[in-house]
Amino acid sequence: MTGENEKNYIVVERLHKYFSQRGSADMHILDDINFTVKKGEVICIVGSSGCGKSTLLRAICGLDPDHEGTVRIDGTEITGPDKHRGMVFQEHRLFPWLTVSQNVGYALNGISKEEKQEKVKQYIELVGLNGFERSYPRELSGGMAQRAGIARALVNNPSVLFLDEPFGALDAFTKISMQKELKRIQKRSHTTMLLVTHDIDEAVYLADQIIVMSERPGRIQNIVPVKLAEPRDRNSYEFVEIRKIIYNEFFN
Amino acid sequence: MNKATAKNAGYAAEYIILVAAIIGVWIVMGSTGNLNPVIMPAPSKVGNTILSLIQSGELWESLGISVARVLQGYLLASVLGIILGILIGLSNHLERLTGLLIQLIKPIPPIAWIPLVILWFGIGEGGKIFLIFLGGFFTILINVIDGIRQADTKLIEVSTSMETPFFKHIFMMVIPSAAPNIFTGLRTGLSSCWMCVVAAELVSSTTGLGYLIMNARQFGKTDVVIVGMLTIGITGKIMDSLLKLAEKLVIRWN
Repeated sequence: MTGENEKNYIVVERLHKYFSQRGSADMHILDDINFTVKKGEVICIVGSSGCGKSTLLRAICGLDPDHEGTVRIDGTEITGPDKHRGMVFQEHRLFPWLTVSQNVGYALNGISKEEKQEKVKQYIELVGLNGFERSYPRELSGGMAQRAGIARALVNNPSVLFLDEPFGALDAFTKISMQKELKRIQKRSHTTMLLVTHDIDEAVYLADQIIVMSERPGRIQNIVPVKLAEPRDRNSYEFVEIRKIIYNEFFN
Repeated sequence: MNKATAKNAGYAAEYIILVAAIIGVWIVMGSTGNLNPVIMPAPSKVGNTILSLIQSGELWESLGISVARVLQGYLLASVLGIILGILIGLSNHLERLTGLLIQLIKPIPPIAWIPLVILWFGIGEGGKIFLIFLGGFFTILINVIDGIRQADTKLIEVSTSMETPFFKHIFMMVIPSAAPNIFTGLRTGLSSCWMCVVAAELVSSTTGLGYLIMNARQFGKTDVVIVGMLTIGITGKIMDSLLKLAEKLVIRWN
């Protein structure tokens, strides 16, 4: 049973979502989404803006439980958010009135002060924000704020981390270094990750599987496994080959 | 003098220039004999009155009594305004229930309450403090409600998705996010409380700045009236500056 749950760690079955609109028929946003994720895998969901990929992510993590079909994680059906599933958004969503360490510690409840301090320290180190513990979010650059957001999402040691275009608002250089960071963090924490992006390069660099979505209604157009040696070289032949496959899914 | 201090001196000069100009015109008109001393005494007369009121201790006494009244009424308005504001802001139910009542009572100026206040409280301190309380309460209440309502839904989502315990959510997420609005309410509330002090001291008072002004009016002592008015203005400005400073210290994250 455990083996089965590891293999089908996240199971999305016959997921449909409609938005009701005044005066016309309900809009079909997500159409029959089915896929499974293995424990420890990184899945990137790629699609153009408006294809419903963020909606899909929100449905899977339980933030929008109003949909047809089922989502199960580790055998349990998801009906709402849970602190054991971390969430990173495009905006860092840090509380502006709390310092970096207070923000990271905010997610921790019901443990002793020492334990809390220890964990906060550990995760601030993990994302490389040492020295900024007492800074307020406004004093951080976009990349640093996003690191703090990632630390906050990971501090509860979640079984799954959901990332909704986490680097979408960063400049190209910061983005690449953050992708590297995320990869390093994932290698250390082995957290299962679902990441939504419209950046094909990002998906090929990070994913074990890429889910390609078509738009209106959002459907899974293809699932592309990415079997590349680590560390991945963005300019290697194999990398470019996969990028071409994904690219052709959208533009041909 | 370097550039920066020169610039600051320039700003400071600009800041006081209008007030200085008005006093200047007043002095010139007083010295040329263009002012009727009963209607508008010359600045020198007002200056002398200030000194004599300070020397006799009368000004400090009146000021102290008025400030004490305002602080009592204001404290009551702040505590109730913040607590009720948070409760109403958090509950759609309570907001619907209280909305119309608040909107109906809010526009009634405290001065219109005086007849009832005298009947309810008599002529003691209670009525005065109640009037001052009325002056600030609704402003504070409405600002607090707005602040709680305007909390960023994205941040609320973060807090709730982490299964944050209720009181932690309120004290570490909702209230800090409403803090700028709460301070706006506290500042405008204090200035309305302070403006009510004269009205409150109309309720057969024999002490305070309001009494000082009304009493002087009866004897035609316009200079004392002006000193009373200036004292109210200056004290109000100082109180507001102190609250502004407190706001800066509390809202360090902005």
